[in-house]
Amino acid sequence: MNLSLPPILVLLVFPGGLFLIASGLIYQWADRKLVARFQNRIGPRFIQPLADTLKLLAKEEITPVGVHKGLFFALPVIALAAALTAGLYVPLSGFRPAASFRGDLIIALYALSVLTLTMGLAGANTISRFSLVGATRTLTQLFSYEAPFLLSLLGPAIAAGTWQISEINTYAGQNLWLIIAQPIGFLVALIGLMGKLELPPFDAPEAETEIVAGAMTEYSGRGFALFRLGKDVELIIGLTLVSAFYLGGLGNPLEFVLKTLALLLVLALLQTAFARLRIDQTVGLWWRAGALLAVVQLIAIVLGRNLGTIF
Amino acid sequence: MSVGPMISDLLRSLFKQPATELYPFVKTPAPTRLRGKLTWDPTSCTGCQLCVKDCPANAIELIVIDKANKRFIMNYHADHCIYCAQCVVSCRFNCLRLSNEDWELAAAQKQPFEVYYGKEEDVALFMEQAAKTGAKQA
Amino acid sequence: MTADTNKFVIPIGPQHPALKEPANFEFWVDGEIVTGASVRLGYVHRGIEKGAEARTWTQNLYLMERICGICSHVHATAYTLGVEKLAGVEVPPRANAIRQLMAELERIHSHMLWLGVAAHEGGFDTLFMYSWRDRETVMDLLEKISGNKVHYSANLLGGVKFDITPELAAEVHKGLDFLEERNRFYLKVVTTDETFIGRTRDIGTMTTEKAEFLGAIGPTARASGVARDIRVDAPYLTYDQFPVKVMTHTSGDLHGRFIVRIHETFESIRVIREILDHIPQGDLTTRVPRRIPAGEAVSRVEAPRGELLYFIASNGSEKPERVKVRTPSLCNWSTVLSLAIGLKLADMPMLLSGIDPCFSCNDRSIRLKRGQQDPQVWSWEKLRQYGIEYYR
Repeated sequence: MNLSLPPILVLLVFPGGLFLIASGLIYQWADRKLVARFQNRIGPRFIQPLADTLKLLAKEEITPVGVHKGLFFALPVIALAAALTAGLYVPLSGFRPAASFRGDLIIALYALSVLTLTMGLAGANTISRFSLVGATRTLTQLFSYEAPFLLSLLGPAIAAGTWQISEINTYAGQNLWLIIAQPIGFLVALIGLMGKLELPPFDAPEAETEIVAGAMTEYSGRGFALFRLGKDVELIIGLTLVSAFYLGGLGNPLEFVLKTLALLLVLALLQTAFARLRIDQTVGLWWRAGALLAVVQLIAIVLGRNLGTIF
Repeated sequence: MSVGPMISDLLRSLFKQPATELYPFVKTPAPTRLRGKLTWDPTSCTGCQLCVKDCPANAIELIVIDKANKRFIMNYHADHCIYCAQCVVSCRFNCLRLSNEDWELAAAQKQPFEVYYGKEEDVALFMEQAAKTGAKQA
Repeated sequence: MTADTNKFVIPIGPQHPALKEPANFEFWVDGEIVTGASVRLGYVHRGIEKGAEARTWTQNLYLMERICGICSHVHATAYTLGVEKLAGVEVPPRANAIRQLMAELERIHSHMLWLGVAAHEGGFDTLFMYSWRDRETVMDLLEKISGNKVHYSANLLGGVKFDITPELAAEVHKGLDFLEERNRFYLKVVTTDETFIGRTRDIGTMTTEKAEFLGAIGPTARASGVARDIRVDAPYLTYDQFPVKVMTHTSGDLHGRFIVRIHETFESIRVIREILDHIPQGDLTTRVPRRIPAGEAVSRVEAPRGELLYFIASNGSEKPERVKVRTPSLCNWSTVLSLAIGLKLADMPMLLSGIDPCFSCNDRSIRLKRGQQDPQVWSWEKLRQYGIEYYR
């Protein structure tokens, strides 16, 4: 499907900007609700994420002693901006991406990494000991999941023969679902997404029983709200990317909702099923299992393609 | 060794009613032995003051109006009470009971926690006297 | 241990999400590795031992019950056992059996609470939610039997307040069947889940010698293979009539502590069933005088966390002269501090909760007496001034 809207609306209202933030909040609610139901609880009301965000925005923002003031204020803005930028290149709600060019997959993933980087920097900017440990863990985790996640998204890209998200999406829609063709890649992408979103069991960077809120400990009010919004947007973009690549593409809004929610269901199940991994276990898992699996999948794809051209 | 032995339970929970009780909207009946608000039956009280002596929280006061005619008033401080039922056991004349119906005792003011038990005319008399002394002091 | 200013110190507490009660732990870390640990207790000192001297013997029963919210019945039992020993009264066997029944139900509730807390510290929130949901069953049973959900106030000096009727016994049986099935499931989760084993196996391993050297008690010691349990070593109540088995494990790590506690839950369930089926007949109370004869008594019981000791001295009046309580948590702190070194920071919350700590019951104030002109003895004025200056 295609929509032609004036660029300013595309950026601020749909599909970027407000719509992206709103759907991010809705998906955050869906995630919390599903986790609660898996744990036999009731879970939050529909309005809860919005109420949380408004409350945080209305609250006083405390600037702690010892931070670089400019960075402290700029980092949350950069974080949300990076996440929103990434949103422009993905087929949100099944429409064609707002912007598209060759190699935008790399840009989108890079923008999402910027979000994590800013969180790491935000932690390192303060003198709080919880934040510093959290920042170290955030960045350590970034280096561990990034490569396998990228490799797992490269699989569909190689299969489609392009590095443009919209074209991979079209390719995935026209061919056999890639989850069947590349099951290992899907698994790595799913777990990689959990690592990227710092969801349990990969939530060592913000393990509350050890380091309170990790890198975010010193943030309150507006800054914290923006970081949270950034995370919500990251969640929806991650879900869109993985379901577009592996679950047969996203052609229309209905398909988008069904596929991303199905993916979220699996994500919520995995969140509740495990104990938190220590950061050394996380890194070990990624480099020993994740990266290896992703490489095996890539080799299989390359071999398959080459053999295909021979025969 | 297995990965995620909880998954079957998790999936079952998804289709189960949440375990959370929606308390103020849905109320489950209290068990018969529940220890709620203290009630006092003035008819057989002899004024031995054992309940006052044994109360660990000083929640009971027994005000004597006329010892010979066995006229007493009980001032029960529900906010002090720890619902241990020691007074119920201590009372040899079975005057005291902890209700299993009246147990939602939350209130925004202190006033509902000051409970006076006794024959109506005794309580009225006591209140009158208290008002008088209060006026004198003021 | 003294703090080194060059070290990177992670403070846990007095206010911290990992702690449900206030205490201050400082962990010196090198990256993620813990190189030193120290503990500061005393944030919730309540002066209960002193308060006991101003109350009558009966009133103290309820004060002692409030030392701990989780093991309230055990505190009251230890106190009544001591007072009854001083008064020289013989409690009817049926009352003792009901006390034992309540104590074992309380152990189930305490161990299930601990399972949830420890799982939460390890980031396993689902196990936390499930075990606390199922713990409601045993709490409801306790409420049905006693009328209260937390402070059951089952004991009286010289007996218990209520009887176990056949209808109640049937309900308890039903609840126990459910609890047993659920605990089998938790045992399976704890022993087979890969991520959970990764967080517990070989973490904080304590050998039998070390456990004895550090004076560890309760399930913490039993997980290191120290077969010590007051219920077996010095049976009180009706524990000689309805004996329990000592549950030990040889591994000595956090994993072993999980297994020991869940096995103890099974053992409690078994012994409760036995009590319900063979409860002795008879009275529920005997008379205990209001003035307790002068003397001293020591009573020991096995609380869910380990040995609980009461020393009670009477001068023949209506009030005790001295009540000294030694709670189990205090004995286990040294194990935490010595095991912490070399572990990861992420293991600390689980290691802390591994001993099932109860902070409010182990806070003490100690006055050191070292002769007349001791600088350690401060006047009230000086102490007050110090307190004001300290927090300025």
